[in-house]
Amino acid sequence: MAKWGMVIDLDKCTGCQACTTACAMENNRLPGENWQDVIFYHQGTYPNVNLHWFPRPCMHCENPSCVDVCPTKATYKDPDGGFVLVDWNKCIGCKYCMIACPYGVRFYTDERSPIEPDIRKVFPGDGNRQWSPPYRAPDSRDDWRHGVGIQPHGVVSKCTFCYHKVSQAPKGVADLDEDNPETKEYTPGCVRVCAPKARYFGDLDNPASRVNRLIADKGGVRLKDHTGNKPQVYYLAGGATAAVPSTRETHNR
Amino acid sequence: MTTATAPMARSNTVLWIALAGLVVSAAFVLFSLATLGHAAFNTTSNGVQWGLPIVVYDFFLLTSTGLATIAALALLFDAADFAAIAKRCLWLAICGLVGGVTALFLELGYPLRSLWAIPLNLQTDSPLFWKVLFIVLYVVTLLMMVGRVSRPGWSGRSTRGLALVLLFAAVGVTMIAGSVFGMMAMRPFWFGGGIPIAFLIESALGGLAFALFFTYMAYGFRQDRLPSAVRELFTGRMPMVFASVIVLHVLFVGARVVAGLWSNADGLQVWHHVVSSPLFQFEIWLGLAAPLVLMLSPGLRTKGGVQIVAAALVMLALFIARYSFIIGGQLVPMFKGTWVHGLVQYRPSLAEWALLLLAIFVANVVNAVGEKRYDLSQGPAT
Repeated sequence: MAKWGMVIDLDKCTGCQACTTACAMENNRLPGENWQDVIFYHQGTYPNVNLHWFPRPCMHCENPSCVDVCPTKATYKDPDGGFVLVDWNKCIGCKYCMIACPYGVRFYTDERSPIEPDIRKVFPGDGNRQWSPPYRAPDSRDDWRHGVGIQPHGVVSKCTFCYHKVSQAPKGVADLDEDNPETKEYTPGCVRVCAPKARYFGDLDNPASRVNRLIADKGGVRLKDHTGNKPQVYYLAGGATAAVPSTRETHNR
Repeated sequence: MTTATAPMARSNTVLWIALAGLVVSAAFVLFSLATLGHAAFNTTSNGVQWGLPIVVYDFFLLTSTGLATIAALALLFDAADFAAIAKRCLWLAICGLVGGVTALFLELGYPLRSLWAIPLNLQTDSPLFWKVLFIVLYVVTLLMMVGRVSRPGWSGRSTRGLALVLLFAAVGVTMIAGSVFGMMAMRPFWFGGGIPIAFLIESALGGLAFALFFTYMAYGFRQDRLPSAVRELFTGRMPMVFASVIVLHVLFVGARVVAGLWSNADGLQVWHHVVSSPLFQFEIWLGLAAPLVLMLSPGLRTKGGVQIVAAALVMLALFIARYSFIIGGQLVPMFKGTWVHGLVQYRPSLAEWALLLLAIFVANVVNAVGEKRYDLSQGPAT
């Protein structure tokens, strides 16, 4: 069984937000509720100010605190692939997982729109769906047990590592690469559109995978590793750009 | 047996006022939720996810367990003076629980689903699973206990076994409620093994303050109308116990504030914000220091009016403390970059304030019903 992971090369990331946009289209995201985001922040004070950016998907941790705190097992770690997913049929919307996530990657859609105008009013949902975007995926792709589709009311959602694509990949494949015609369709949306190719996706349990080689050769690090969550997303920071920041660095004091 | 004439006419007034308030606040909250969904609350994924409704829920729950703890301890250890208010404390514990659970159910995305999904999925790693388990035990024991003390001629001896179980359940609920926050290592403002103990002390303090205030309320806020056994308690050990628990609470608050202000750890910077807020200053000086001085003053601490003011101030201080604690722990944004500048800004919406009123009115309706249906002033047979 694979343990899917991602490597993001911060030296290559240009902060173009193509990954964010692709994720929004692929996963019917409400504008402003970005499962995948590139956050911008600055360091220093005038005149010595640096603008930085930092791509931040869900870390799909090996030891996820969100899974431990969920009282209904709605949030779970899929043993086949290592995805951290939300079963919308079980979620009660208590938001404890949002509290327990050190990376702020979970969203409760049943709240005020982060961006005005509220597009949910322009494209109102049918039935239990929060909204009905014009670019929505076919209903047949809805998979609430894995948190795929348009989010219903009253539940929490998050990045699935594009579970609907990755879980269909041929067994035993080491890397899912958009440049390889055989794996292109199974590659997560954010990886597939990354123009400077700052993102790599592969099996962390396969020693021959490119992600493993990159982590080993370039010293991949994990965000807030001290929490013990053990993210399956690694960052490469060779020194040309920002290092992996702490929470404090990503907001003004 | 110590009994007194129940103030029925007054309970009617309270009941009608509380019912009117309940109808208005419920109408506002339900209309807001029906038209806006949970967008009626000012919580957001970018910042505060547990807002005022969770503050209200936790405040009422801890008050309830504090009241039950006082009653259970009194009956378990045959403390005759405190046993005089045991029945009222047990009923008030039910009132608090009803108020808190009402707030929680209106906040949850799927409250009814939680009734089966939490017990059946057996997520034993989650503090919330254990909290629900203990709350079930707590509710069952509390109801049995109320049934037991509602029998004519009930005695402390006949309730001792049940009081032990109730004490276990109440302390369990309180400490697990603390663990829900204390286990969050990713939020240093909350993290620490001392939090469940702090919750226990806050719960006991809330229990004492509510017992004082609502006992006086039942007798028109007049000490001379209190039954003799209750008056003996309120002019005897009660002020001393009340002052002692205030001191314990102040020590815990002081220790946390000093450690929080001193530390440079990421996430604890919110202490500077909390300490500089007028609410916190009110909590410390008017809500804790003033009642402590009043309860330490030999000439004042036995006076009815002084006790009522002290209890009311402590109740307010504890609510502010719960608000500062729950909201403060979420003010440092988690990797939101320029989406959230500085600390998260949060102000409860009108619907959230209405939810607080709804919980207060629900609890008061239940209290007034108890006052009318059961003789809450009835002490155990001696």
